[in-house]
Amino acid sequence: MTKGPSWRVVAVQESRDLWVSGRGPVLLFAYSVLLSVISYLAGTNQVLNFLEQREAVNLTLQVAVTVGVLVTLLVSADAVSGERERGTLESLLLTPMSRRGILVGKLTAALSLWGAAFLVGIPYLWVLGRGVELVGKALVLGVAVGTVLAVALAAFGLLVSAVSNSNKASLAVSFLVLLALFAPAQLPPMPTSWIGDAITRVNPLGSATTYLSAVLVKGHDWTRDLSYLISPVVALLVAGGLLVAVGPRFVRLIGGVNGS
Amino acid sequence: MRRWCAAAIVITALALPQGVAAAQDAGMEITLDQSHVTTSVGRVLTLESRILNRGSAPSAPMLAHVNVASVDGGYVDLEDWSAEVTQRVDALQPGQDVTLTWDLQAVNAGSFHVYVVLLPNSGPLVPSASTRVDVGQKRNLNAGGVLPVAIAVPLILGIGAAAIRYRVRRRTA
Repeated sequence: MTKGPSWRVVAVQESRDLWVSGRGPVLLFAYSVLLSVISYLAGTNQVLNFLEQREAVNLTLQVAVTVGVLVTLLVSADAVSGERERGTLESLLLTPMSRRGILVGKLTAALSLWGAAFLVGIPYLWVLGRGVELVGKALVLGVAVGTVLAVALAAFGLLVSAVSNSNKASLAVSFLVLLALFAPAQLPPMPTSWIGDAITRVNPLGSATTYLSAVLVKGHDWTRDLSYLISPVVALLVAGGLLVAVGPRFVRLIGGVNGS
Repeated sequence: MRRWCAAAIVITALALPQGVAAAQDAGMEITLDQSHVTTSVGRVLTLESRILNRGSAPSAPMLAHVNVASVDGGYVDLEDWSAEVTQRVDALQPGQDVTLTWDLQAVNAGSFHVYVVLLPNSGPLVPSASTRVDVGQKRNLNAGGVLPVAIAVPLILGIGAAAIRYRVRRRTA
């Protein structure tokens, strides 16, 4: 067994499961196909090509961040409830590792998918952003804002997974929450109404993408719209705090679920 | 209706001498932070307007409205340039000022005047001096540069994913 803190042992094992025998490479492939379609359309389609180069970079970065976060959430939503249903949680609980260590290790493994997704997005951002000296800024913003969102949503997914009786319920709840976060983006713009601004600011995903647009497209200084990052940071602190403080209590076998 | 109102404001504002004289009559002064901007189609430009109460009495709350007029006589659809063309200005004490920010996206090539008008409940409109905005043709993206990346990245990842699956299946067979 790998030596080190228990969370690191779990992280290494989970990452191996995810990347060597699991869904990691396939999810990453599907993600790259999506980014290819988006970036190609942004570069060639007559309608989408209305976009100025900065907007094309912003669009691609937003898709990279939101879909990267989505796959991270879905992997973490399967982490505990999936093991419970496959009957492998019992053997994990029998090891001397702490339950908190198990959760943190699983969180770290899920975040490896976000890291890989962001790396895959770099060539697209580079090819769209060269010439307007926007690549470096887009990468720094993307990794900073995306990591905050990824940790927040992965922690949330793990909590839901630990609490859920079934894997289906965990995935459904996580997906529903993600849809609820995406839905406000489909509303017509309400820039002058306080309710529109409030909806944007309360939603961690919406406020994060608004911040990215303000810096990349409108050319605002990166400090000017920092208030938009309050809700992503609050989401990170709440979900991360709950995962570490309360989460371990729910990492247990449930009667009637396979393996228990 | 909204377009007619905008047209009326354009005519009124352009009929007035630029900015300051009219502003002083009303005790209010409005200035823009830039006099000339060069940009290209699709770019977002940010202008700031400073509204100052030069009078001796507090001003009533009023609206500020941004407008874009084409020098070349071309059609300008203001809603395409900005989703937020009107902002509320609260009452200002004598000597007090407030700064409003306007984000505009240049959607047409050509030369334009952008100005902000204060709309009091009664009395004359108070226009700012205008900012000249010269908008060049947009720079198209290099589609030829996107295609190799759009093909190569999924291809490499697809081959990698397939190779890992093949290896795992062989190991477990």
